[in-house]
Amino acid sequence: MSDLTGIMAVTMIIWIGLFAYVYRLDRKVSRLED
Amino acid sequence: MSRWLAEALAVAAKDLRAEFRTRVALNSLALFALTTLAAVSYTIGPYRLAAEDRPFLLSVLLWIVIFFAALAGLDRSFVKEEESHTAPLLRLAAAPTVVWAGKLLYNLVLIFVLMAMLAPLFCVLMGFEIAMPWRFVVVLAVGGYGLAVITTIVAAIIAQAMTRGALFSVLSLPLLLPLLIIVIEGTRAVAMGDLASFSESLRAMITMAGAMTIVSAFLFPIVWRD
Amino acid sequence: MNRVGFALKWFLFVWMVVVIWAAFMWIPSAEGFKGESSRIVFFHVPTAWVATLAFLVSCIASGMYLWRREPKYDFGAAVSAGLGLLYAVLATVTGAIFAKIMWGAYWNWDPRQTSITILLLIYAAYFALRSAVADPEKRATLSAVYSILAFVTVPFLMFIVPRIYFSLHPDVMTNADPDNSLDSAHLIVLLASLAGFTGLSVWLYSVGTRIEKIRHRRRQEVL
Repeated sequence: MSDLTGIMAVTMIIWIGLFAYVYRLDRKVSRLED
Repeated sequence: MSRWLAEALAVAAKDLRAEFRTRVALNSLALFALTTLAAVSYTIGPYRLAAEDRPFLLSVLLWIVIFFAALAGLDRSFVKEEESHTAPLLRLAAAPTVVWAGKLLYNLVLIFVLMAMLAPLFCVLMGFEIAMPWRFVVVLAVGGYGLAVITTIVAAIIAQAMTRGALFSVLSLPLLLPLLIIVIEGTRAVAMGDLASFSESLRAMITMAGAMTIVSAFLFPIVWRD
Repeated sequence: MNRVGFALKWFLFVWMVVVIWAAFMWIPSAEGFKGESSRIVFFHVPTAWVATLAFLVSCIASGMYLWRREPKYDFGAAVSAGLGLLYAVLATVTGAIFAKIMWGAYWNWDPRQTSITILLLIYAAYFALRSAVADPEKRATLSAVYSILAFVTVPFLMFIVPRIYFSLHPDVMTNADPDNSLDSAHLIVLLASLAGFTGLSVWLYSVGTRIEKIRHRRRQEVL
């Protein structure tokens, strides 16, 4: 069972990292547009 | 309508005449095909493959040789025009679809000539026994047509891109892979006398060739017009 | 970034967090699947679906470019093709992981794996073409033509080739996605994941096209 939680944790971290990256990119682009 | 056809034939005839004079593309096609065939025949020959694997493996080998020979020989049909600066003249002299049809016909003739030479030789050298020989010709014809249609439009694209060799193969081969899978299965089916599978493959081949024909006919004028 | 956009993005974030949690914790293990491999389906199917959608958008944007000749359609076509490629890679990877758990091998060229590989090659070639043409309008035109040609093969790859392929490889294990007996809980999470991935790609598409617009604007200013 802890294997599963481990994989879920990894997936969560990947998602959080991806979201943070795209979010920052989005903000940077917004600033460049204005 | 017949005027359009006559013009297309004229474009093809011009290219074929020029080609038979210098034989650059034909040489590339023939040399590549024969060399590959020799290599395959030498290493594998008629005896090495187990009987139950032969129909499938020999189909694969045949079409790989045909496809790669085509990639070696068919890239120049438009590049020639750009290089010798006859392209602008051609644009003036004929409607875009006429040029497309003419070039397609030209590529078709080259492929059929290649197949006429290669297929019998392959069957003899590799001991490829075909249960339904006439349907085999049909598979070759339709497959060859599909090959010609796709390579023609890709050749038109890369002639505008003005780079050498490799881009043609890079663009053509992935587009050709679905067709390749279908014609290999069709060939395996005719080798084994599997009528049901042949019919299904034939339908798939014709559908793909048809779709590509219609889409190319629409897209070619756009590529050519620049 | 405006209010609505801000809210939507954070909503997406929470949505996917819930989907991930649900996929691993809320859903029980599925029968007929080895180990916990059924959970991968929640990520594999949406990425494959969104990839196809992205390629379709690229084809449509290409058609729009050829019709209207506005650069924004070229941006859309290129960004979409790139997203499609990205999602296709993800679909391939998740599919390989699934194959490993279910059948012991990451890769055995089953019809789906073959089709997705061909798709990857086709759209990788799209970017090879783009990088080979210097003039922006010519690049846009030629890659638009190719994008349309490329999408013609997609229905064949998705439907016809797998059937034909089975005749070629009858010994291939029945690798059809065993998702035909989905109960409602699985279906809900799958659809939710699909919605989330679609939302994510809409966002990525918008960011990508905005970046291209800025690049384009910069180039115009230099001239």
